[in-house]
Amino acid sequence: MVREFKLPDVGEGVHEGEVTKWFVKPGDAVKEDDPLVEVMTDKVTVQIPSPVTGTVLELRAREGEVVKVGSVLIVLGEAGETAAPPLPTPTPKAPPPWATPAPSRRKPEDALPSAGAVAAAPSVRRLAREIGVDLERVPGSGPGGRVTEADVRRAEVGPPAATPAGIPTPARPVDATLREERIPIQGLRKRIHEKMSKSKTTAAHFTYVEEVDMTQLVHLRDHLKAQADRKGVKLTFLPFFVKAIVAALKEHPTLNATVDDAHGELVVRRYYNIGIATATEEGLTVTVVHDADAKDMWALAKEIERLSTAAREKKLSLQEVQGSTFTITSLGKEGGILATPIINWPEVAILGIHRIERRPVVRDDQIVVREMMYLSCSFDHRVVDGHVGAAFVQSVRNYLEHPATIFVGTE
Amino acid sequence: MTRHVEVAVIGGGPGGYPAAIRAAQLGKNVLVIERHKLGGECLNYGCIPSKALIHTANVVREIERAKEWGVDAGPVRIDMAKLQAWKASVVDRLVNGVGQLLKGNRVEVLWGDAAFRASQILEVRLRDGGYDEVTFDHAIVATGGRPSDLPAFRFDGARVISTKEALELPTVPSELLVIGGGVSGLEIACMYAKLGSKVVVVEILDQLLPGMDPEVVRLLGRRLERLGIEFHVRSLAKAWREEGGKALVDVDTPDGPLQVRADAILVAVGRRPNTDGLDPDRAGVTLDGKGHVVVDRQMRTTNPRVFAVGDVVGPPFLAHKATREGRIAAEALAGHAAEADYRALPSAIFTDPEIATVGLQEHQAGTQGIRTAKVPFAAIGRALAAGDSDGFVKLIVDSSSNALLGGTITGPGASDLISELALAIEMGATVEDIALTIHPHPTLPEGIMETAEAALGRAIHVLNR
Repeated sequence: MVREFKLPDVGEGVHEGEVTKWFVKPGDAVKEDDPLVEVMTDKVTVQIPSPVTGTVLELRAREGEVVKVGSVLIVLGEAGETAAPPLPTPTPKAPPPWATPAPSRRKPEDALPSAGAVAAAPSVRRLAREIGVDLERVPGSGPGGRVTEADVRRAEVGPPAATPAGIPTPARPVDATLREERIPIQGLRKRIHEKMSKSKTTAAHFTYVEEVDMTQLVHLRDHLKAQADRKGVKLTFLPFFVKAIVAALKEHPTLNATVDDAHGELVVRRYYNIGIATATEEGLTVTVVHDADAKDMWALAKEIERLSTAAREKKLSLQEVQGSTFTITSLGKEGGILATPIINWPEVAILGIHRIERRPVVRDDQIVVREMMYLSCSFDHRVVDGHVGAAFVQSVRNYLEHPATIFVGTE
Repeated sequence: MTRHVEVAVIGGGPGGYPAAIRAAQLGKNVLVIERHKLGGECLNYGCIPSKALIHTANVVREIERAKEWGVDAGPVRIDMAKLQAWKASVVDRLVNGVGQLLKGNRVEVLWGDAAFRASQILEVRLRDGGYDEVTFDHAIVATGGRPSDLPAFRFDGARVISTKEALELPTVPSELLVIGGGVSGLEIACMYAKLGSKVVVVEILDQLLPGMDPEVVRLLGRRLERLGIEFHVRSLAKAWREEGGKALVDVDTPDGPLQVRADAILVAVGRRPNTDGLDPDRAGVTLDGKGHVVVDRQMRTTNPRVFAVGDVVGPPFLAHKATREGRIAAEALAGHAAEADYRALPSAIFTDPEIATVGLQEHQAGTQGIRTAKVPFAAIGRALAAGDSDGFVKLIVDSSSNALLGGTITGPGASDLISELALAIEMGATVEDIALTIHPHPTLPEGIMETAEAALGRAIHVLNR
């Protein structure tokens, strides 16, 4: 049986992916779950495994080609099957309905939606609608000024650097390749471009910074280290942060939310999927710990470690990089003092974690040395008022300064 | 019984069933409420049965004409009972197909009459007389419409009939009067004329197919005369009475009063929306002055949780428009950015000859900034070889950009040919694009390529003006 395998619809705004690498070629035998292809989406690079055991009949996309969700990537046949005959069109059980023979006194065009006069294919018009690009403002690069899909995608990222009319762009000097390098912005980097500008131009960012005394938590972690070693778990501070944030989110539910700008609604999530911004070779990826509230400290530690390894080894599944409801960004030892994190839009807040270092502070009128750290938390001010954001950060701080309270529960 | 569904679709016709399936594809739990038959007017009483009968009538006509080409199959006998049974089998197969598709997409069907009780509540009167209450997150009204009759000609199902009964007659009427020279009246007039009826058509306005390109209507008039159809425009059917086993109808024509005898009087003067008994006002759904549901480009009514599609939102009454609207509504309620965004809405008329139009029409266009080109099918080899070369392709083109704005095709295969023009308009294609696309020889679509060339002043098979 011939079987077409399509780029799966993964939701979450993933519309397309770039085929970065084929692991198979026509004629190869594949087993179920063997990797077929590596596809880079706007979230992550994933390896797509074979759904069946069989033979590769045909590859429908070249490496470097951007394929839409739902389009056929590869045609597989049963083991031993060779020829790739044209696929028979399935006979529909019902035909497309035809014109109703109904007398109409009106001209057929009367009820036509007054679509603008921009020349663009229907698929391009739909794309523009979906990503919120006004076609009237997109200069068409196609024949006769037709607007192409690429034109719309460019318009989404932002207007091209203005070339003053009438002034020809100077030709690149011959030695340009020596003095400068032109690196194409594509793949994950392009997605990062798009997402960052979308967030910055959509959400009204404000950043709130607070200082946290981490001494008790540092002691607790040191104390648990021996146990962690026995369990073979790498225990960082991240699971504690996740725990503290989930507890604080339960107190401030509107921060565990996304903005649905299209409908003018705030979607408050009653589940806690915590995104963790992770650096990879290709760029920034957000891995997601799903249902963090249902996991204990050790389970969180293991899951965070697993996701971080998978990210390094480019083995993340789409499930593991989407669905976050709140995001943490941490640079670990390079964490610096402060930052102004950009929200993982359409979420409404992001928490930045900085370096923990021993600093002199005043306690009971004495200068003492404590383990100190700053938290930088950015909020979408359209949704989050200043005092709400502040209360959230204070709550996180309380949990971190008194780690035992994390485990007391909020109910 | 009370139940809750995410999406309630009222009506399982060409607007409702695609809407239900699309919503189910998008993960919604969907209920279709149908009071009569799946498939609606289109499958049961309109498009499909009429095409089955028109196809047969065309075969009869071809057999008669084949004598000119050296084929004499003798006198044609029509077994109307057998023809009706075959037609019914076609309809049944398609209606069952719709049921299977709904089932396959896990869409449940509730048989009964729905009425709104509140903004998110429907009451359904079931076939057994009981009542169910259905609460919904979203509803799609796809209740369609039904033929209108006239004060002096009320449907009685015997003498005065609608298109529905006209397609179910047990015998070919020897004399048929058609009131209304619009699309469905003329399709049925042509069909029965070919099956042997003496047909008279009465139209109140000053041309058949009001709103249609007059050049097309002139050609149609010649062909109707050749089929022996008598038609009167600017004429009014006033009254009828039973006399001598027939209906006797008084008609006022510009040439004076006329009496027409008929076995059946087909009233085909328009359609009205099925909103009675639906109580849309209880859900905050507003109707316009003619009873059509008011919707926006997402097919959303004045109640943001209720959508409406198809004939119930007003003309043009086309199944393919209903289907598209159904998809739009389903996607919109699922949060997609779908909206009605088509440049061109084609329509196909199955008269003799077929007529199909899309986009801007010559007589609507004025002369400012446009030009037209026309090539007759007599210049197209395939049309001549098939013995049917009446008709033409006409293209309406933007003078400055050469973009195709509209087209009219009348003649053999017009209903199939029009889709190429619709695609061209949607794609923003120029006549240059059409002309540069190789069309295979010998086929009817060559007429489109040739007309595109003519619009550029370089046609081969006609003289360029």
